[in-house]
Amino acid sequence: MSILLISISMGVYYWFSRLRFGYTFSSMLLQPVVIGVFVGIITGNMVLSMQIGAGLQLVYLGVTSTPGGNVPSDPALAGCIAIPLGVLANMSPEVAIALAIPFGVLGVFVDQLRRTINAVFVHMADRYAEDANTAGIMKAAFLYPALLGFLIRFPIVFAINYLGESVIQNLLMLLPQWVLHSFEIMGGILPALGFAITIKVIGKKELIPFFVVGYFAVIYLKIDVMAAAIFGTCLALLLRVFMFGKDSESNV
Amino acid sequence: MSEKINDQEVITKHDITKSMLIYYMGAELSNSYERLQSLAFCASMIPILKKLYTTKKDLSEALKRHLIFFNTEATLGSVIQGITIAMEEEYAKKPSDSAITGIKTGLMGPIAGMGDAIIWAALMPIVIAIFLPFAKQGSFLGGILPLIVYPAVTITISYVLIHNGYNLGKKSILSMLKGGKMKSIIFTANVIGLIMMGALSASYVKITTPFVLTMAEGTTIVFQDILNMIVPGLLPLCAVYGIYWYLTEKGPYYSRILLTVVIFSIIASLLGIL
Repeated sequence: MSILLISISMGVYYWFSRLRFGYTFSSMLLQPVVIGVFVGIITGNMVLSMQIGAGLQLVYLGVTSTPGGNVPSDPALAGCIAIPLGVLANMSPEVAIALAIPFGVLGVFVDQLRRTINAVFVHMADRYAEDANTAGIMKAAFLYPALLGFLIRFPIVFAINYLGESVIQNLLMLLPQWVLHSFEIMGGILPALGFAITIKVIGKKELIPFFVVGYFAVIYLKIDVMAAAIFGTCLALLLRVFMFGKDSESNV
Repeated sequence: MSEKINDQEVITKHDITKSMLIYYMGAELSNSYERLQSLAFCASMIPILKKLYTTKKDLSEALKRHLIFFNTEATLGSVIQGITIAMEEEYAKKPSDSAITGIKTGLMGPIAGMGDAIIWAALMPIVIAIFLPFAKQGSFLGGILPLIVYPAVTITISYVLIHNGYNLGKKSILSMLKGGKMKSIIFTANVIGLIMMGALSASYVKITTPFVLTMAEGTTIVFQDILNMIVPGLLPLCAVYGIYWYLTEKGPYYSRILLTVVIFSIIASLLGIL
């Protein structure tokens, strides 16, 4: 696909995923691993696309779970820019991830803008409710925010992808080794932010030892993530019986 | 004040499911800082309210009732919808001093707390992490499978909850919230979530130091080896715990942390300590 078509496709993808059409469905569309599939299809390089997506995913693994839906950073904006540019420039996943970080921050402000303007549609709905105009309320709830979203979302991703390819290529050649290495360090540390946020959201200080159990189970026993999920779930279910008794089931 | 509804069974199961789907589709779409999910909730009640209230005045009143501030975790939040539908049905039959708004606002806080812990903090990272090895190997399954599994699980939960909420009514939900069952479910979810966070941190946070000290006699001290001798994986653990500590002590200043990580990485790279 030409760079023009790729840029347009990414702009549309960003708009649609950030539209949040379908509560948990769209929240998955926003994730870099899913963006990776889309980029893989349109660029024809599924392997690199998924590898960059997987690396980027770790940075944002905990980020979706913030209370009140306030995004601390935007994995979709980061992914919709860094994955296609990374694939086209044949970057290593670490470098592509570092490229993504600034856009992830920028995305926060874009979302704040959207949610501020969205208030207009609530006031529209107030007037429609006065007239019992249910079709109007449906439009205010779905159609108008979607159109607004397109105006806000599409141009950023389209422009950066379209103009970015050649710029990024030249930039990477000019960058000294220590800059690239600092990107790699960043990519290694940033997943910690996502996990720390999730631990904070869970919010049970007295349960932190379970975090340590999971951590050193992997370090010392060398089990993988799936194994941790299985053992962890069994442990949690057993503890539940010990702590709350079997009665906890019937207490409806 | 309103026309009485003669039929006993005006609201069908189909209407309730439809209401759930509208809320599911739009919960975040029209989200605004002013009233958050109010618009989506109101829109989701339209199929119900249109059947219950036949005069324009009553319908308008009902619509306005659901345009007030509303925000919760929308997967578990469908239970509030179920209860609201049951209460609207009551109200349409016998308009009285209504508790609809009170119940809605009373439930949205606790439900949001539970939903954030179970659906977002535990379930979502687990679903992504389980399929992540596919993605790392470059397979599209790493993206497609989470995209199917997570919505399928959450929509099923919503479906069960909205119909249960409708059938059980407000009393049983309130007693469930107070009872031990909810507490034990949250406990289980939190334990799984934390173990997973530990396992994921160990697998994916990568910090090692290339720092090497050369002694006068030509012997070298490799710093990372010393760290590994004390406790392997010490640096990543410090990074996660340090950021967690900052979040709990200072508040959710994500951008500030992000910036600090960026600056720290550049300095560490220049000095060659990481």
